[in-house]
Amino acid sequence: MTTVSDPKKVKVLKPDRSQTQIGIALQQLRKNPLARFGGFGLILLYIMAIFAPFIAPDGLSNYSSSNITKFHPITPIHIHDPATGSLVRPFVYKYSQQLNMTTFVNEFQMTKEVCPIYYFVRGDKYRILGIPGNIHLFGTNNPECKVYLFGAETLGRDLFTRIMYASQISLTIGLGAVLVTTFLGLLLGGMAAYFGGWIDIFIMRLVEVIGSIPGLFLIVLLRAALPENINPILGLYVVIFLLALIDWGGTARATRAQLMSVRELDFASAAKSLGASDSRILWRHLLPTMSSYIIVGLSLSIPGMILFESSLSFIGIGAVEPYVSWGSLLAQAQEGGFASITQRPWVLIPGLFIVFTVMCFQLLGDGLRDAFDPRKRH
Amino acid sequence: MIEGGSLVRATLSIWWVATGGRGFVIPFIIRRLVQFIPTILLSSFLIFIVISLAPGDFLSTAKLNPNISPEIIAQQRENLGLDKPVLIQYFLWMKNIILHADFGISFAYTQPVWNVMIPRIINSLWLVLFITILYYGMAVPLGVFGAVRQNSFADKAINVVMYFLLGFPSFFLALLAIFFILQLRFKYHWQIPLGGMTSDNFVNMSFWQRVGDVAKHLIIPAFIVAIHSVATLSRVIRGQMLEVLHSDYIRTARAKGVTEHTAIWKHTFKNGILPFVANIGGELPALIGGAGFVEVVFAYPGITPMLLDALNSKDLYLIAGFNLMTTILLIIGNILADILLVAVDPRVRLE
Repeated sequence: MTTVSDPKKVKVLKPDRSQTQIGIALQQLRKNPLARFGGFGLILLYIMAIFAPFIAPDGLSNYSSSNITKFHPITPIHIHDPATGSLVRPFVYKYSQQLNMTTFVNEFQMTKEVCPIYYFVRGDKYRILGIPGNIHLFGTNNPECKVYLFGAETLGRDLFTRIMYASQISLTIGLGAVLVTTFLGLLLGGMAAYFGGWIDIFIMRLVEVIGSIPGLFLIVLLRAALPENINPILGLYVVIFLLALIDWGGTARATRAQLMSVRELDFASAAKSLGASDSRILWRHLLPTMSSYIIVGLSLSIPGMILFESSLSFIGIGAVEPYVSWGSLLAQAQEGGFASITQRPWVLIPGLFIVFTVMCFQLLGDGLRDAFDPRKRH
Repeated sequence: MIEGGSLVRATLSIWWVATGGRGFVIPFIIRRLVQFIPTILLSSFLIFIVISLAPGDFLSTAKLNPNISPEIIAQQRENLGLDKPVLIQYFLWMKNIILHADFGISFAYTQPVWNVMIPRIINSLWLVLFITILYYGMAVPLGVFGAVRQNSFADKAINVVMYFLLGFPSFFLALLAIFFILQLRFKYHWQIPLGGMTSDNFVNMSFWQRVGDVAKHLIIPAFIVAIHSVATLSRVIRGQMLEVLHSDYIRTARAKGVTEHTAIWKHTFKNGILPFVANIGGELPALIGGAGFVEVVFAYPGITPMLLDALNSKDLYLIAGFNLMTTILLIIGNILADILLVAVDPRVRLE
């Protein structure tokens, strides 16, 4: 009698390969539920950003000059028929406006008119990754009766649409600034360690001087030196440049210290005595020792950068119209004095997106830091 | 030179605390100031280079302003040497600052920058002082508690809340705070001051009423900035405290029979806390930045709202003045932190 063992239970022996540092770290990362949550949240956010024009029911800066919907309230989505209570196609009620003659404020009132929500409706033209389209995930096909999932902002534009488009800016600038910061830090720190002498003195003095001026004030100063009315696209690059310029010092210092200590180790002198060129030693032997520092440093500095970008956009040094970021959307919460927030609390919603994004980056970054830390392995 | 006077008083009061035969404070301060002169000169040079990169002449906006007479413009042109090379302009600017505290003219306010700038800087200093006190006042107890009751439910709960707060931009936290305070106001008619620095009837108040009024306005913005950044510091303090708690000399202390109270507060706390006293100076720039955003939200008459106005009106000398003054104040803050370290750590000498 032959016993056939269950093929599922047969253990496949993997060839005994040596693991790379990054392989071990990724394995560790997968075991960390919080980091997994952060990573998953970020994937969702970036998918949302890429498909923002499709998810958004409206165009980025569409507003009607005849039907002014300034601070239109949130339109709740109903799924029950008001008369029979049975399930129907989701719908919203139309809102009408009336001038309150005692306060002289436009007041929105819900009417009985029903506007059903359709899926994959044709609307505003857009491009996703270069592919043109005009299909939107949902809409009412009625410009007089739109869905305001998160209400409307100061010009009557749909806040949900604006938040979707803003995610493209908010999720890119922070990341871009961190990449530029790291590149500048590695380059200048590497140069300081490699060339030594007066270049080293100059770069390190520059780091110290930039660090001695409060960052926010230095950014205002640098922004003042640039022309006021710049092209909006250029404006986004300017923000990345400003953020990177005040933040590269820390990376440069760490790179310099690491390279200076590694340079004296045996493997570096061995490579040198074998006749390797300076650039080969730098790129193949010295800089790879910093890989885990770079990965962890990158992921831990992204949340701070996103927070800083949102703060700058909030005070008006950042994304300029027609582009918006979550920070600049929050700036309208300030419009009309303190008391106005209570009348339109939905203008605070963009902040929740910032918090969620920063949270996900933090969880992933902490997970990566622990994954690369041999003391925290289990 | 108001801060000059209070600085001297502060240093004199610290003087007798710090000198236990471990050197004199005043020569130490002078030495530190001398060490910082190159940094101040280089930062001022950087600041000046940036404002000279700005398009147009500094006086081109002033010429369009009918409130500024042509004589003032001609005098400024002379003072600033605008027809000379940049390096000479820089030396003239520095000479005016050092000899006459003359930072140039603020075009938007048609007044010397110094007069416009100083009240705002003092207001911001009060806010930053409040923030620093609250920041350390919360982070130290939380960090110590987390280390002493490691992994208890309260420790974990505090960690989660603090971690969550880290994800909030400080201005968003401020907006949320305003939102909830307004709800409280409507519901219970509490008179919680919101925005600004003083109440309407401030001029009629006695001195102590004024102090109380300003403190009432300061406490909410300061609390927001402090609680926003407390998470990082309290976690590091917790880690440091744990490291010291597990060190050999604490075991020795316990073995010889000291009470738990003494082991924690006398032996661990004093050693665990020192690195953070040394780092107060390093924390200041972030606290000033955080204060800036909250100043904007609460319409507090501090540096940042004026700086943003100056940015819109291209008031370059005002911006440069704020940059230079805050840099100098940061350096003074660092020196004060050094002195504080000497006062609390008997191993550090002023030499």
